[in-house]
Amino acid sequence: MKIALIDGSPKTGKSCSSFLLKALEPHIAAGNATTRFRVSTQPLTDEEYRELCRMDTLVLAFPLYVDAVPSHLFRMLVTLENYLKTEVNRKKEIFVYTIVNNGFFEGEQNHIAIDIVKNWCVRCGLHFGQGMGQGAGEMVGSLKKVPLGRGPLKNTGRALQEIAENILSRRSAPPLFVRPNFPRFVWCFMGTHFGWNMRARKNGLTKKDLLKHPSETNRH
Amino acid sequence: MKTLLIHDLSPVDFASLGLGPSDDITVISDNGTIRHCIGCFGCWIKTPGTCVLQDGYQTMGHLLSEYDDLVIVSRCVYGSYSPFVRNVLDRSISYVLPYFVTINGETHHAKRYEHDISLAVHFYGDDITDAERATARALVKANSINLHCSVRTVCFHETPHELGEALR
Repeated sequence: MKIALIDGSPKTGKSCSSFLLKALEPHIAAGNATTRFRVSTQPLTDEEYRELCRMDTLVLAFPLYVDAVPSHLFRMLVTLENYLKTEVNRKKEIFVYTIVNNGFFEGEQNHIAIDIVKNWCVRCGLHFGQGMGQGAGEMVGSLKKVPLGRGPLKNTGRALQEIAENILSRRSAPPLFVRPNFPRFVWCFMGTHFGWNMRARKNGLTKKDLLKHPSETNRH
Repeated sequence: MKTLLIHDLSPVDFASLGLGPSDDITVISDNGTIRHCIGCFGCWIKTPGTCVLQDGYQTMGHLLSEYDDLVIVSRCVYGSYSPFVRNVLDRSISYVLPYFVTINGETHHAKRYEHDISLAVHFYGDDITDAERATARALVKANSINLHCSVRTVCFHETPHELGEALR
């Protein structure tokens, strides 16, 4: 089976989408040919679009942007629809699985983006397999040293295992929504103090600066 | 009432709406220069309130705070806004803060501005499916929670011509 792993994060460095695809790959690689595609702010080439049409399975991983699919990836999906409708060598039975991560704690907030991918599949004549919504994506993407299925990644590991089994058996299943195994108030505290405030300090800004309106900033 | 209108119509279709120039309406349209959000969070932690990509759309977050009404006109694509309108919204996240608040038991971003927007969304397209309509309605509702605004209306139109009647 030919499986495309499509990383839809626009980030140039580490990302949760990349982390989750990397974690999924060993579960689906045996006996299959997996190919990585990177959809960043640079568009795919004509040959890459044609290659996607010849896949048996597409796995789309991306971050949630304003409750939906980030615009750079969304443009790619619109273009891919045209290729899928015109490419003579396209596979007839293509299954699509999607892994969406958001910055909020609740993975459930990814449900609309999953529905958008599902609607895209209908337009393209693809089979929608399953969606996974991962909460606290910023934190999860930074836990590279934590074994999958353990500690805060316990639920993530289980969900990836389930989606992998469905990919291998070409099954459709209801969405999986994942919250990290971590208290929400601790996540919120750490995100504020060790996330935003610390990053601001590296840019020479204080918490007070982050709260300002641009018009106030310009006066200084 | 000051209105901010974000649309994805071609210049010809926009002209056919018959919306004359007005001091109360600011129009955001596709001039071909918009860049995609690169996920750097610079608009939150480097230049708070302003995007670091200088392409003419970098002040979208602040612009939202200056209007009472936000009107979005977009082709309905898979139950979402079109890529251009999605792009504008992606570039508007500095309207809120990176910090979190809890609303209805869910985490969302806190307000940067003590300001309320009334949101009207007009989707168009001649073959929008029921599933796409349901997704689009859910999307607008979720946006209204995350952008701390109220939804005045969500409408679906078959053609841009119908839009003109609804907007005038």
